[in-house]
Amino acid sequence: MPADSRPRRLFRAALTVALASLIAGCVQNPNSVFHNRTDFNRDVGSLFSLLIWLGTIVFVFTEVMLVWALIKYRSRPGSPRKPEQTHGNTKLEILWTAIPAVVLAIIAVPTVQTIFKTQGAARADALRVEVVGHQWWWEFRYPDYGVVTANELYLPLGRTVNFALSTHDVIHSFWIPALGGKRDLVNNRTNHLWFTPDSTTDDAFNGYCAEFCGISHANMRFRAFTVTPEQFASWVAHQQSSAVFHPQPATPATTPGTAGAAAATAPRTPVAVAPAPGAQPVPPPTAPVQAGFVSFPADKMPNHAIPKTPIPPGLAVDTTLKGDPARGMQLVSTGACIGCHTVKGVPSMVSKVGPDLTHVGSRLTIGGGLFPNDTRHLFAWIKNARAMKPGIQMPTMGKGQYDPIVKTTLTVGYTDQQIADVVAYLQALK
Amino acid sequence: MATAATAPAAAQKGYEHEGGIWSWLTTVDHKRIGALYLYTALLWFLVGGLEALVIRIQLQGPNGRFVSAEMYNQLFTMHGTTMIFLVIMPLSAAFFNLLIPLQIGARDVAFPRLNAFSYWVYLFGSLFMNASWLVGAAPNGGWFGYTPLTSTFSPGLNIDFWVLGLQILGVSSLAAGFNFITTIINMRAPGMHFMRMPIFTWMAFIVQFLLVLAFPVITIALVFLQFDRFFGTQFYEAAAGADPLLWQHLFWIFGHPEVYILILPAFGLVSEVLPTFSRKPLFGYPVMVYSGMLIAFLGFGVWAHHMFAVGMGPIADTLFAVTTMLIGIPTGVKIFNWIFTMWGGDIRFTTAMKFAIALVALFTIGGISGVMHASPPADLQQTDTYFIVAHFHYVLFGGSMMGLLAGLYYYFPKFTGRMLSEKIGTWHFWLTFVGMNLTFMPMHWSGLLGMPRRTWVYDAGQGLETLNLMSSLGAYIQVLAVLVGAYNVLVSMRRGVRAGNDPWGGPTLEWSIPSPPPDYNFAAIPTVTSRYPLWEHHAPGTSDIPRTISDQRVPTAKELGIPMPNPSIKPLFVALFMTLMFACMLLIHLGKTPLAIAGIITCATLMTFSLYSWLLTPLEDEH
Amino acid sequence: MATTAHAPAVTHGHPPTTTGLDHRKIAIWAFIGSECMLFTSLISTYLVYKGRSVSGPFPHEVCNPPQCATTLKPILNIPITSVSTFVLLMSSLAMVLALAAVENKDKPGWAGTGAWGRALASSKLWLLMTAILGATFLGFQAYEFTSFVHEGLTIRQNLFGSSFFTLTGFHGAHVTVGVLWLLTLLAIDMRRGLGPKDALIVDISALYWHFVDVVWIAIFTLVYLIR
Repeated sequence: MPADSRPRRLFRAALTVALASLIAGCVQNPNSVFHNRTDFNRDVGSLFSLLIWLGTIVFVFTEVMLVWALIKYRSRPGSPRKPEQTHGNTKLEILWTAIPAVVLAIIAVPTVQTIFKTQGAARADALRVEVVGHQWWWEFRYPDYGVVTANELYLPLGRTVNFALSTHDVIHSFWIPALGGKRDLVNNRTNHLWFTPDSTTDDAFNGYCAEFCGISHANMRFRAFTVTPEQFASWVAHQQSSAVFHPQPATPATTPGTAGAAAATAPRTPVAVAPAPGAQPVPPPTAPVQAGFVSFPADKMPNHAIPKTPIPPGLAVDTTLKGDPARGMQLVSTGACIGCHTVKGVPSMVSKVGPDLTHVGSRLTIGGGLFPNDTRHLFAWIKNARAMKPGIQMPTMGKGQYDPIVKTTLTVGYTDQQIADVVAYLQALK
Repeated sequence: MATAATAPAAAQKGYEHEGGIWSWLTTVDHKRIGALYLYTALLWFLVGGLEALVIRIQLQGPNGRFVSAEMYNQLFTMHGTTMIFLVIMPLSAAFFNLLIPLQIGARDVAFPRLNAFSYWVYLFGSLFMNASWLVGAAPNGGWFGYTPLTSTFSPGLNIDFWVLGLQILGVSSLAAGFNFITTIINMRAPGMHFMRMPIFTWMAFIVQFLLVLAFPVITIALVFLQFDRFFGTQFYEAAAGADPLLWQHLFWIFGHPEVYILILPAFGLVSEVLPTFSRKPLFGYPVMVYSGMLIAFLGFGVWAHHMFAVGMGPIADTLFAVTTMLIGIPTGVKIFNWIFTMWGGDIRFTTAMKFAIALVALFTIGGISGVMHASPPADLQQTDTYFIVAHFHYVLFGGSMMGLLAGLYYYFPKFTGRMLSEKIGTWHFWLTFVGMNLTFMPMHWSGLLGMPRRTWVYDAGQGLETLNLMSSLGAYIQVLAVLVGAYNVLVSMRRGVRAGNDPWGGPTLEWSIPSPPPDYNFAAIPTVTSRYPLWEHHAPGTSDIPRTISDQRVPTAKELGIPMPNPSIKPLFVALFMTLMFACMLLIHLGKTPLAIAGIITCATLMTFSLYSWLLTPLEDEH
Repeated sequence: MATTAHAPAVTHGHPPTTTGLDHRKIAIWAFIGSECMLFTSLISTYLVYKGRSVSGPFPHEVCNPPQCATTLKPILNIPITSVSTFVLLMSSLAMVLALAAVENKDKPGWAGTGAWGRALASSKLWLLMTAILGATFLGFQAYEFTSFVHEGLTIRQNLFGSSFFTLTGFHGAHVTVGVLWLLTLLAIDMRRGLGPKDALIVDISALYWHFVDVVWIAIFTLVYLIR
């Protein structure tokens, strides 16, 4: 068959390779803007395809013409020393004034349509989320549910979400490349952005600050989780509850380092059970809210959503120490932490400077999406956050640690055991 | 009228200037000031390139730790600020200085001492800005310096250096702008009406209008920022009800015309290079002039396309999208006219020509991606990502720098009397071309795959490793290219082939006089009867690189009885005291307000004294 | 003209300018164009921030608690500023007369022969008068600034204070430069006398002075008169 002629086979092979690399590209490029997982990104994507196709045509046309001219009219021995001295050609010049004008008109029409479509008012029944930018972390509020959280955004599949964007300090920009954005967070105004995650499954997405906002601009990240409406309802109910850790006055002193084990060895303590890393969360037996779904399951976290920022080499982490969450609570609710953080249900912890810690144990990342929320990283974070994320307000807490902002070594501060206690408490705050 | 312009005399010896440091400090000769601009800007190019190199080492792999976050922010801020204000603008100024009087048949600029003043202000301003490195407080707010990050949230001297440094540099650009506008309007040789003016001078003329109209706006924006930082005003203080977008509007009303300030001189240079090495006149000269004017005019009406993400609303977005797309039309026309200048010609691939062709090829890419972000919804996914970094490096490196390097190879003989080596130049070109594309082409993909700009690190596993490694490898090739280029300049300055008047067979007046030209440029002011006066005498592109140089010395101005301006040190003093006056403001933030006030008053007095002494001294001896 | 292409004659002296105008005349127009953008930016900022101050005093409105500790009256004093505006306008008239006097120095008696005529023809008188009227305007401005500060409006007080003082202060600085310029001309006039050949430098200072005057008209209208 002529269909199997060599050029055709070659062409088919090339097509296969191209397609394969395109698909592989989507797998390897989790933050690509071309994922089309929301109505917003589909609209932008179709506009973008038009731009890319037209751009490619113009590019190829122009460069081919250029290279053709270079080859055809290169100086050769015997070529005329004085070629025809043309000064211009009105018809040609009108032609190539008209061509870009037509190309731009083709772009302008869908551009304007998309502007008005994407910037129109969101549906009235859209989920309202208030995004507040802080140097360098994200505060997410769900005003309809009275939920306040940080750096992790939960979005129900199929429901339009309408973000109200504002800032606490400098200008930031809210961007989840695979879902939509970006839109700036500007002082003294509230910006809006809406989209519907309607073409995806439960999944985790990376979000970024896209406007330069100071020393840790690169470290101001967040995660967005798309979950089913049922899971979302469960998550909301859990977030609405107060802190789930209430220590008894006389808790046995020795509790293991991870909260999961803590629950096993200290059954009288109503500690929410932490999953072993990689395990599906088990509903805590004594938690005040019977939440089936309290956070995105760690084992479903795609690789790209798990932060890989290294801990600074000089920062020693001792994960063998067993922390006592009750002692940890004592330290947290009477120490420096009260200056900045809120834990609902703990009367001394009401400050709004830093992220709300009521359910910090259920989060998958810490430090503005910079580190995974595991014992090792949380330990290092409490010990010396400023060595892990430049410029932040969260102070260096570990005794003997060097504070890179104040530029002194701490003579007072938490011992490693105390840090382990704080970590145990925070991990208990499911 | 009997004649057309002056024909070149054969193989003249270059003019020999008196040497010595003092003659350089006091020079008011536009060609020597141009050379000072050239060498200073090339030095800052090395510094700005070094900053970029460190950035690329840091980003070579994920979660890099080569430099700290603070250092990284200082590096990218200073890389941008340096390349824009200390490299591309002054390199353009070097060519303005050298070429405008030569191309219009004048003996100098309208205000020679003001011209020297512009250079000294630029030199001192650039030194002041970079002195911040020495105290470990280089600017760290980005070249765009958005408030309130740079007002309320940046204590420390970093932003002070930036604000004051830009104010100083603005004075330089404004003074040069008034000077060149007057020069071009008022010093053209007989017969050189506007539509006979060489195209480079035309682009330079347009750029001067952009300068004098755009710089006052940034001056005021910076004054507000300076007052906020030093005197507690509330222009950008959000708590007082201020709108931080005020800064963005003022900055970009300046910032977008600034883009054309950076690119139009390069457009002018390649519009000189392409005809010479195609042995054909520029295709569609009037359209090239009008499109330049149109680009400049529209350039004042598109600033908010830098702000599509700030939430201006659909109507403003539509308006600025449409005006931005309109600019694509005159720009596209220029590209096609360049291609058709070569079409049907007899193309000689000299190094200058290669760089000029590279501009046409690479600026096209930057232009197309530019149209992509003229569309606001699509721009939301592009702005503040590496896609934009790729775009403006195709425009500023692929466009401006390629054009300026074409100009460097083409006009080096007019600066120095010697030719740059074509052999080394070929290496220089190909290394630059390959390195540039390897660095910036992958950034289109890094951006669309979700890499924000101005980030100290990116995480592993985001599909960005290969692309960033490619960009870094490209940067290392560019380092090699810069070293080769620097070697070429240094060696050729001393040992290059001596150029005659007209080594390339160029069409315009600058090629009719010796290289380097005598201080009076033209013994007789030529009378111009066409756009390409020299091609009336010889076929296009017929060079006269002499095998032997005639021993006949070029006569001095005194011997010919031509009145020349006296050298003067006063412009340097005025510039110095002005810079010191601004520098004294830093003392306020060091807690030494009385000393600062005393310093400012002293410097202001000395500056005024020097200025009066300058203004009350006649430019020339009585004759 | 009989120069040949290959042996052009050396041109001695300065060739005439293309337009026939002096370089400085063109440069001052370019400068004024640039200054227009400067003042446009300042005035626009003032207008953008008009009514956005979160605390008083305000330009045209009464400021009541809680925005202010006590009730504050509108702060702009339009009658007094009208007087100072009139003074500045008169200084432009004096400037015109100064230029006319310099231009006609070589025509004795051009303005009449009486005492009035002699006065009218005195460039020193009119230069001095322009400078005095300019200085008077500055005096009014100094008075206005101090009284505002006494009433609680400083450059740090609110957006109105910041934008008002910066705008009018920039204009005041321009007037100050103009007064110094006029006094310099006056000194030259006293030392060697200004004649028609000096008309250009007086003309240029006059252009600057009238420009600064016109800018004030814009400021007076937009800041003081329009509510």
